[in-house]
Amino acid sequence: MSTVTDTPVGGIPVIETRGLQKHFGRVAALDGLDLSVARGEVHGFLGPNGAGKSTTIRVLLGLMRASGGSASVFGQDPWADAAALHARIAYVPGDVSLWPNLSGGEAIDLLTRLRGGDADKHAYAARREALVAAFQFDPSKKARTYSKGNRQKVALIAALATPAELYIFDEPTSGLDPLMEAVFREQIALQLGDGASVLLSSHILSEVEHLCDRVSIIRAGRTVESGTLAELRHLTRTEIAFAAVGEAGEVTPEQLARIPAAHGLVRDGGRVRFTADSDDMPRVLGALAELRVAGVTVNPPSLEELFLRHYGPDARADAEGETEEARR
Amino acid sequence: MTATHASAGRVGSAGALAPASAGRRPPHTLLPLVAQRFRRDRVQLLAWVAGFALLAYVGNAAVVGTYGTEAQRVEVLKLIQSTPAVLMLRGTPQGPAADAFQFFLLFAFLGVLIGLMQTFLAVRHSRAEEESGRAELVGATPAGRSTPIVATVIEGIVLSLVIGLVSAAGYLAGGADAAGSWLAGAALAVTGIAFLGVGLFCAQLMRTSRGANGLAAAVVTVSYVLRGLGDATGTVHPDGVSMTASWPSWLSPIGWGQAVAPFSAGEQHGQRAWPLALGVLLGAGLVAVSLWMQAHRDVDSSVIPERPGRLHAPAGLAGPIGLAWRLQRNAVVGWMVAGALFGLLIGALGQTMVDLVQAGNGAADDLGSTLGNTLKSFAGPGAAGSFIDLFTAAMFSLVGIIAAVGAVQAMVRARQDEAAGTAEMVLATRITRLRWFASYLVLGALTAVLVLAVAVLGAIVGLTRSAGVGDRAAVAAQAGLAQLPAVLVLLAVVALVFAVLPRATVWLGWVVLILAIGIGQFGGLLGLPDAVRDASPFSHTPVVVSVPGAGAVDWSAAWVMLALAVAVSALAAVLVRRRDVALGG
Repeated sequence: MSTVTDTPVGGIPVIETRGLQKHFGRVAALDGLDLSVARGEVHGFLGPNGAGKSTTIRVLLGLMRASGGSASVFGQDPWADAAALHARIAYVPGDVSLWPNLSGGEAIDLLTRLRGGDADKHAYAARREALVAAFQFDPSKKARTYSKGNRQKVALIAALATPAELYIFDEPTSGLDPLMEAVFREQIALQLGDGASVLLSSHILSEVEHLCDRVSIIRAGRTVESGTLAELRHLTRTEIAFAAVGEAGEVTPEQLARIPAAHGLVRDGGRVRFTADSDDMPRVLGALAELRVAGVTVNPPSLEELFLRHYGPDARADAEGETEEARR
Repeated sequence: MTATHASAGRVGSAGALAPASAGRRPPHTLLPLVAQRFRRDRVQLLAWVAGFALLAYVGNAAVVGTYGTEAQRVEVLKLIQSTPAVLMLRGTPQGPAADAFQFFLLFAFLGVLIGLMQTFLAVRHSRAEEESGRAELVGATPAGRSTPIVATVIEGIVLSLVIGLVSAAGYLAGGADAAGSWLAGAALAVTGIAFLGVGLFCAQLMRTSRGANGLAAAVVTVSYVLRGLGDATGTVHPDGVSMTASWPSWLSPIGWGQAVAPFSAGEQHGQRAWPLALGVLLGAGLVAVSLWMQAHRDVDSSVIPERPGRLHAPAGLAGPIGLAWRLQRNAVVGWMVAGALFGLLIGALGQTMVDLVQAGNGAADDLGSTLGNTLKSFAGPGAAGSFIDLFTAAMFSLVGIIAAVGAVQAMVRARQDEAAGTAEMVLATRITRLRWFASYLVLGALTAVLVLAVAVLGAIVGLTRSAGVGDRAAVAAQAGLAQLPAVLVLLAVVALVFAVLPRATVWLGWVVLILAIGIGQFGGLLGLPDAVRDASPFSHTPVVVSVPGAGAVDWSAAWVMLALAVAVSALAAVLVRRRDVALGG
């Protein structure tokens, strides 16, 4: 990419918010949100409905002004320097609304021109054609006849048809079928230039696991977890199960009690199940080897479990505890 | 269990696998759908009914107030008989009685209103529902495909009957002939029912609610024009105060309503009820056809398919101005056509009025002075001058209304785009907030300029057979130009509302507009105090006609308003930059 950036690689993050706040009247949509996206990073942005993902994105795009805290994009103020920053950003909203009397093709061209993306007309035409084919999109229909998935395709094609330094996707594949979700992943890999950064807000955890280097999980306008997937997995427990009747006969309760660092051990029909912290795995595996158990399965925590850990019934109490600690 | 089986009869014998509803009657779906329609439309329906009641009352008051005596009405009617333009706008006179005069003045206009009301209602509950996908939800219930149409028909008929009643009550309250009042109400109701059928039929033809509404509104307009042609070319009866319309009027549902002639004391026919049957037949026929089509076609299909769009955007669709123009151009062209036609009418009618007044006797002079006073109240304080110039200046204040509506619509569009979320997509590109906002503002101002310009051109064309065309044209041009500053102030105020209270833009914008028009353009006619009238920019529009020798036109107020418009727009631009993009809701 030939765009001049005054940011050294690995220097100032592409996106950085600290203690970001946004109030709507008495409602705090964002309540101290920290987010950091480095250059070249694909960053997953997770949270349930109403957690503040779209509000964060609107603040980052300068569509809304933060009530408190700080936000910077490419080291600049997204509110004051909105238009200048937007020249470097491609954005796909979660619920795309289009101009009803424009065709899909016209909307794609218009959005590209507004971004100044058609300077190299041939390159743009080629990319557009490739994307239209990949997404199996009919650009000749009027926007009012498009389904939600097809409206989403308009925004995706427009965003990917011009190179950008930062892509902001707000639940980009909502309304797309699984086939098109796969096309989206494929095209992200194909179209993203070197050093391009992505902020991907999503509900689809497999998509995030597939694409993202790092993730931030937010809840009620606050970041509750942030890091690489490996780091986050580290924080959670691995699920281990084995057959209750092994080579050395049925395991006895005394034997089970000797397995170190086992949490929530249960005998469930013919299987024994428990979870263990990632750090304890070598000890656990050693103990299992001694017992000569059979049919061992070891499941690393999925992102879904990470997610549920933060939004399950106990999550609220946990989060309150964490903030208490943070205050001290 | 055995006892239950025995008493359940058929259900029992059908065996255990019979669906739970096998012995049940299908659920009643019509009443809930009718109730849902009335509930959804309740505010709108009340507003329409109240509007028709107000028109009935105002119509009566206007006739009594302006043309109080039968002698006055006879003179006016005699003049009007030979003025095709007035016949075209109003209808055929049915005698000089106050009730007949009121019916003549108002019915065609009311017919257009009830026609638009019913076609919009029909499309709202048929094609628009289908387009939004809600019709699919309802269609998947036992209500099926035809019950929703039946429910819409019931709502439309009830609404028509209520408005017919209100209209009849208005006549009765004004002391009109009782039998005639009921017939007049029935004529209005039946006109509505006929257009209800038209609306449902258009919804079957077109793929989108926008297309269906457009086609239906065109049918209403053509109905008005057809009866206008028939009325303008009708035969005058020997009594000189009543007419029979010629055949084109019989092609129009509005013409059928007029043909009832409820208060007629004319010489060829009196009041008659049978033309009502034509409207009922048309309505019933179109409803039947629509029901048949709905039952035989796929959901989301239409007789006239949607045209495919362009594969690529044309070169002009590249920035916010190009986009705003593309979104609003049909509306802008529509306002320009309205402005041009109105201008043409002003020019043509002005000379006709002069001819009439000059050819007239004493009563015509009376008419001249009555009209003259009315015109002066429109043209502005201290307006004076030749009749035709006064007429031109006064009528241009109505063109100012058209220009203002077009301009405000552009600003309202900004809010609609913001609420729908399309503005967010534009603002996430390198387009600045200021440029985005300014594009709507510029388009609004441009609309006003274009509407006024074509109206001036139309008026000049219409004035070509008047004496001293050059001077007349100059007055028309000045009258058109004089309207612009007030329109721009209004546009700037609505822009300020958009900047400060975005969610209130749509309703508050129209309220501001209606108030400004009401107290500015009609304040003189309504006799409002000056302090109130001064609040409207239209009250400060320069008066371009004055007695000869009184000096040049005073344009100072225009410059002040122009400066004000620029200042308020600039303030709005600063404030819109400082607020959040506010989605709908």
